[in-house]
Amino acid sequence: MYKLNFNFLNRYGDMLIDGMKTTLLIVFGCLIIGFLLGTVLALCRQSHNKLIKGTATIFVDILRNTPFLVQLFFFYYGLPVLGIQTGPIPTAIIALGINTSAQNCEIIRSGLMAVKKEYYECAAALGYGKVQTLQLFVLPIAFRLAFKSLVNNFINLVLTSSVCFSITVVETMGAAKIIVGRTSRPFEIYLLILLCYCIFTYIISFLAKLVDKKIHIVL
Amino acid sequence: MSFYDYANLTGNDAMQFLRAAGVTLYITIVSLLIGSILGIALGIVRCSKNKAVSALPLILIEPLRNSPLVTQLFLIYYGLPMVSSIMLDPYPAAILAISLNTAAFMAVLVHNSISAVPQGQWEAGLALGHSSASTFIHVIARQAFRLLIPQAITLYISQLQCSSLVALIGIMDLTKLGQNLALRTLKPFMIYGIVFLIYYILSSPLSKLARDLEKKLSFNY
Amino acid sequence: MYIQRTTNDNYESLIHDITGKVGKEMAMIEVKNVTKSFGTLTVLKNFNVEFNQEGVTVLLGPSGTGKSTLLRCINGLETVDEGDILVNGRSVKEKKNLRDIRLDCGMVFQRTVLFPHLNVMQNLTMSPVKLLKMDKAKAEEKAIYYLKKVGLESKAKALHNELSGGEQQRIAIARALMMNPKALLLDEITSALDPEMTSEVLKILENLAAEGVCMLCVTHEMQFAKHAASRIIFMDKGSMEADVTAEEFFSTVRKENERIAKFLNFIGE
Repeated sequence: MYKLNFNFLNRYGDMLIDGMKTTLLIVFGCLIIGFLLGTVLALCRQSHNKLIKGTATIFVDILRNTPFLVQLFFFYYGLPVLGIQTGPIPTAIIALGINTSAQNCEIIRSGLMAVKKEYYECAAALGYGKVQTLQLFVLPIAFRLAFKSLVNNFINLVLTSSVCFSITVVETMGAAKIIVGRTSRPFEIYLLILLCYCIFTYIISFLAKLVDKKIHIVL
Repeated sequence: MSFYDYANLTGNDAMQFLRAAGVTLYITIVSLLIGSILGIALGIVRCSKNKAVSALPLILIEPLRNSPLVTQLFLIYYGLPMVSSIMLDPYPAAILAISLNTAAFMAVLVHNSISAVPQGQWEAGLALGHSSASTFIHVIARQAFRLLIPQAITLYISQLQCSSLVALIGIMDLTKLGQNLALRTLKPFMIYGIVFLIYYILSSPLSKLARDLEKKLSFNY
Repeated sequence: MYIQRTTNDNYESLIHDITGKVGKEMAMIEVKNVTKSFGTLTVLKNFNVEFNQEGVTVLLGPSGTGKSTLLRCINGLETVDEGDILVNGRSVKEKKNLRDIRLDCGMVFQRTVLFPHLNVMQNLTMSPVKLLKMDKAKAEEKAIYYLKKVGLESKAKALHNELSGGEQQRIAIARALMMNPKALLLDEITSALDPEMTSEVLKILENLAAEGVCMLCVTHEMQFAKHAASRIIFMDKGSMEADVTAEEFFSTVRKENERIAKFLNFIGE
């Protein structure tokens, strides 16, 4: 009978913690990019200008229908060809941020579509301009409606970020892989970080529920 | 053979793309089949009235849904041989990992779909003289199925893309081939353009189908 | 003519604004030869009318005769095909005027929406604070004044889904009043409500009318027209059939004009 042995934590615990910090860095970087770019893309897809709408639609469609790993390699090998030299972590943040923005776009767009004509008219009749209407009413309503799905996307983002080790980013999974190479304890290590990811996503879900209670709206 | 010949794509590479696309499809389809069947079974167990029974599948579902598929894959491929005598080749390991992952998500979809069928439908079925089992099969399951299909297709699309992770345990699927060729030819844009295109061709009809079905099959209670 | 909005004054003086006479030398709203079509359907034909800032004007007429469209054109929510509408001398055709026109004409719709992410108080105070740069404390004070006026001061913290349809309309009226409009445009604001709620909304309107608030209403409520209206405009098929005082309308005109008699009979008046 195999005996589980977690002694490697004494020696490599710090490495794992550093990996988790990198994961957090990537994840929150992507959260911001994904949210902002996702909102812009969603607004572009609602645009009356056919060129803007078409470009955004194709962009989102491609990103949603191709694997993230391939997109990651594309940026990793592609950016240097374009003369952009960045480290693996910025590359990972760019690639994952863009990928997330495409997923967020669809969610925010369905939120935007739920904001009916009456709200726009009401705001217009009160004297608000287009930008103010968007900023004060349409987007806040759309984000609140989309909140739960956006959180799901964020959890997805956390899980997907584990793929970034394949372009040499030493995040949680990357650190795990290095530790496996040095200790030959793959089962314990992968099991451990599997549980870490679980705990992290549960924390996010829990916090999201608290926030959702505060901002939940009914149309 | 000059360097430029080496850097160019040949007819052989085209064949390799086809073969790699086949590998991707093979792994995806087999995993989705196994995963769907297992997921439906788990989902039905989740609907049990007995709380202990219905909670049982959560032990499997929750860790699988809340951790990265790569980690699951590596745990099965690298970890499992350490603790048991089970030593899986890359293909079975990949299929096992994606199947289990699919099953976990599928179980939740099935559970949600069945729960979404209003209680009144049960009562109507029983009132018409059906047994519980017969009500479930003829009344509930059919309606739940209609709710399930578009969501299941969305899951399948996502799992098709997740199948790219098998490249990380050395299986020569589209992603791995793309990486190899990109390194060989040093033309990442062209190679990844082709890889994107093939994935897109495999995935976008499913996306469109999901969208259409969602419109067609949705009904209001 | 540009009417400077004073935001530093206390709200009482601002409230006075809505009942005061503005621009005696010209009508506040001038509708000149307006034609408006939706596709092949012409809803307003060469329509001419003037409104001064006084009393309650009720627009009557069968459905689909352009009453609502007229209000929406005045507020710039629909563009006019031909002709022009001037609100305090500003043309609705100029996009840059729309903001001022909309501040002059507060509008309440049949299906009004309160913003769902804001409570009643925030719904009321947001516009004066954001658009008139009013002090927040002052805006809240003013909001309480108007909430009392519509009888809902206890609901200041409520969200829209905690209010009945009638209460929502009353809040919407208060929200429009918060902006010190020169006139209120009311577009069938009771037609989506139950009779009970209708009467509570109409009562508020009658109170406001008694205080001298200028209103332009599209409504099918004859009792309200009888009690509160000073002027009645009857429209049919996009043109004006009658433009008379309420007394004349319900005494002489209804006997003389066949169409109006028919309409009034039809709606059981």
